[in-house]
Amino acid sequence: MITPPKWMNTPLRMWCKPELLEEIEGDLLEYYGFWIEEYGQRKANRLYAWHALKFLRPFALKKVKSNNSNPINMLQHALLIAFRNFRKHSSSFLINLLGLCSGLTCVLIIYLWVNDELSIDKFHKNDQQLYQVMQNKSSGAGITTVEWTPGLLANALATEMPEVEQAVTVMSATWFPDFALSEKGEEPVKAKGQFAGIGFFQMFSFDLTQGDANQLFLNKNEVVISEDLARQIFNTTENIIGKTLEWKVLEFSGVSTITGICKNVPKNSTQQFDFVLPIEKLYEFIPRFNGRWAASGPDTYLLLAKGTDVSRFNAKISDFLQSKDQEIEASLFVRSYADRYLYGNYENGQLNGGRIAYVKLFSSIAILILFIACINFTNLTTANASRRAKEVGVKKVVGAHRSTLIFQYLIESSLLAFMSLIMAIALVTYLLPGFNSMAGKAIQLHFNTELIIIIFSIALVTGLLAGSYPALYLSRFSPGKILKGQFKTSIIDFWARKGLVTFQFATSIILIIAVLVVYKQTSFIQTANIGFEKDNVIYINNEGASAKNLDTFLAELKNVGGVLNASSTTHIMTGKYMSTDNLRWPAKTNDISFEMIEGNYDLIETLNIPLKEGRSFSRTFGNESDKIIFNERAIEMMGLEDPIGKKIGLFDKECEIIGITKDFHLESFHESIKPAFFVLNSDHARILILKIQSGQEHSTLERLSKFYKSQNPDLPFEYHFLDDNFQKLYVSEQRVSTLTKYFAALACLISCLGLLGLSAFNAERRMKEIGIRKILGSSVLSIVRLISGEFTKIILLANVVALPISYLITKHWLSDFAYRIDLEWWFFAASGLSAILVAWLIVGWQTLKVARINPMVFLRKE
Amino acid sequence: MRKTYIGELEEVVLLTVAVLQEEAYGVAIGLYLGRELGRKLSISAIHATLNRLAEKGYVDSHLGGATAERGGRRKRYFKVTTSGSRILTEIQQVRSQLWSQLPPNALAT
Repeated sequence: MITPPKWMNTPLRMWCKPELLEEIEGDLLEYYGFWIEEYGQRKANRLYAWHALKFLRPFALKKVKSNNSNPINMLQHALLIAFRNFRKHSSSFLINLLGLCSGLTCVLIIYLWVNDELSIDKFHKNDQQLYQVMQNKSSGAGITTVEWTPGLLANALATEMPEVEQAVTVMSATWFPDFALSEKGEEPVKAKGQFAGIGFFQMFSFDLTQGDANQLFLNKNEVVISEDLARQIFNTTENIIGKTLEWKVLEFSGVSTITGICKNVPKNSTQQFDFVLPIEKLYEFIPRFNGRWAASGPDTYLLLAKGTDVSRFNAKISDFLQSKDQEIEASLFVRSYADRYLYGNYENGQLNGGRIAYVKLFSSIAILILFIACINFTNLTTANASRRAKEVGVKKVVGAHRSTLIFQYLIESSLLAFMSLIMAIALVTYLLPGFNSMAGKAIQLHFNTELIIIIFSIALVTGLLAGSYPALYLSRFSPGKILKGQFKTSIIDFWARKGLVTFQFATSIILIIAVLVVYKQTSFIQTANIGFEKDNVIYINNEGASAKNLDTFLAELKNVGGVLNASSTTHIMTGKYMSTDNLRWPAKTNDISFEMIEGNYDLIETLNIPLKEGRSFSRTFGNESDKIIFNERAIEMMGLEDPIGKKIGLFDKECEIIGITKDFHLESFHESIKPAFFVLNSDHARILILKIQSGQEHSTLERLSKFYKSQNPDLPFEYHFLDDNFQKLYVSEQRVSTLTKYFAALACLISCLGLLGLSAFNAERRMKEIGIRKILGSSVLSIVRLISGEFTKIILLANVVALPISYLITKHWLSDFAYRIDLEWWFFAASGLSAILVAWLIVGWQTLKVARINPMVFLRKE
Repeated sequence: MRKTYIGELEEVVLLTVAVLQEEAYGVAIGLYLGRELGRKLSISAIHATLNRLAEKGYVDSHLGGATAERGGRRKRYFKVTTSGSRILTEIQQVRSQLWSQLPPNALAT
């Protein structure tokens, strides 16, 4: 007789009533015989399993044993016992509460932060269809991915590509300093302005409260302002449509009629502006943006038809620019608009993460910390098991089922988790403002259904996670043995607990090392020599009187007391520059993209960039507009020997190299130093740059303000420090640095709490042993040494686990910086040693407390 | 006794039990239904139906002897009880009464 594989009966036995099993199995077997004849063994097996599964019917199912006739009563009882236990073992209760509470606080804060990060740019109604056009530009150094596109692109794509329902060009507010905006004859207000094409307010959900989105920007002398700005200028949002505003930024200015009012831009938008002008107005000032395919500047956003295959569309537009102008070496692609915040980094044309890395990092930290806190609870509760063994024994003898006991312990841990949750919510409310200013956010604790469900499930999962092992462990005790006093903790449990403590400490050590490395790198960045002096350098916009007569204004500025030097330039030294590959030199083999700094006389002196060879621009040599100064990197990349005096072709003229500066950093330390050159040109001066005397900044600034006001009565005096600008390049690093510091401290605290509880328990458990040892003549010190020895081994093991892991993690993080610190051995040694020291302190203190008690006190009990 | 409802499947299975007499057990019923009426029922469905009939008191069962082809497992034989036969007869009567009252062309469509 052929029988089906034995294991196939096992599931049936799991759910089937034993009294029905025989006949059911018999019938199935008979059928199995027919199936084999008809279909063969394999299908018969399958049919057998399928038909067995079909016996999952009410009549055949085992009855679930239940003798809790009154669940409410049971819950009441469990809660009562839980509260009594909390009171009785108040020290371990407090340790658990503190641990879980800090863990949950941390998780809650990180959850709010992650949620906020994920919500950015997702609020647009057309979110699923919004895309941004990007360019991959190839040059000798590889592919750079940029957001700027030709101004001609939007219209061309909208007419030539059927997938594009709508295309809008935007020149973001980040490109301009603040505008000076005023109602005619009034004091100007500073505001962020951006330029946008027709259809901007249809495509994006910056909702209009007044005005018609379909009619906007048909005329280029219009403006749409936010409600806040309207209130600032007019003190009202009513009846201002049709009024005119004068505006001024850099060398541009105009008068525009208000045709719309939009709601204030939400905080979770990457586009931030107070008012919007038509992009046509910008083309009036910078015609090349709209005249040449080779000139890129503004962003292009697309609304793609629903169901567009993006990869196919990308292939289609990849060569779009070449079809317009063969000389362009760039390929186009689109990326989802909502992705640009979190997935913003490109390396060599490939997507390479972005802020999403921090989201992932903090999420893992949150989970780790919660896990550590749960481990504490598990450890302490199982360690305390002997204290509660009698309770279990008595209950079981009286007739409690194991399930009842498990239920009771889970209730206890969940209750603790919920108590911690309430404390954690209070703490979060208290900590949020501080956290917001640290993280640059405006997160608020809004209790909507989603949040409530999520935090309650976090607490519930925490309670179950922390309580399940103790519950299973405690309920397993056999009542006979306990009541006879034969209770013993098993070896396995002992090792399990040690393993968990090792894990906890390993995590803490990893976090400590990470914090150390992040801290060292951030301070390295801030103090490192960037190649020019950024301290006590201020810059102001070149507008008003200075724009009219730059040279006179600069000369007068230098006469203000405390001003050491002054010059003008196209851009501040950080961030975006004009770059060009339009240079010709002898033996040129490939295109190199140079950063072009168009500056005035004294720029190199004002910034204190040291010269390696030659000289700087000087008025004593007459007109120097055909002279050029390179940095070392540029000379090296061009491969020029003996460069001073050589001629270089720049655009359509010949320039003579008169000097070479040492290398300097224009961008963050994530980027390597770029080849750059200076040429003399004050036509594009957007910024006045001033070096002021250190030690008297305040009085100098006051004098400057007075001087500025006398020259520009209708412009506010606004200045920025250059080093603030440098700080901005590392904002996210600094935030990560501060946040990880707090989180690491928290993880250490929780770990230490765990060790504290465990060592206290250990000392108490071994009281008898300690007492006997003392009577036999052991010194307090040798007892302390004996007990802390055990824990030392655990911490050493944690070190062995943690050090290589932290090495890999920190190395990976640092690899993101082109200029970075070296990982030094003492980072690891110090972190490991400090963990050992802390452990000794805690364990030693606990043991000492017990060891100093007169042994008679606890030996008398026996 | 309160009149207990009997479904169509239950009725068919109950009748089959009556037809098969001494040979009425799970597999035999299933095979008979398949062969004679063309109704393919899973074993679990037959067991479930027999179980319901037993709960309503229309069938009785006892365990038979072990057989080798069932791996030494015994069969459970079913027998129609008195109330079972009564309900079958009742159903039959209701049907024939209705049929007899049917006007000549009522079903012709």
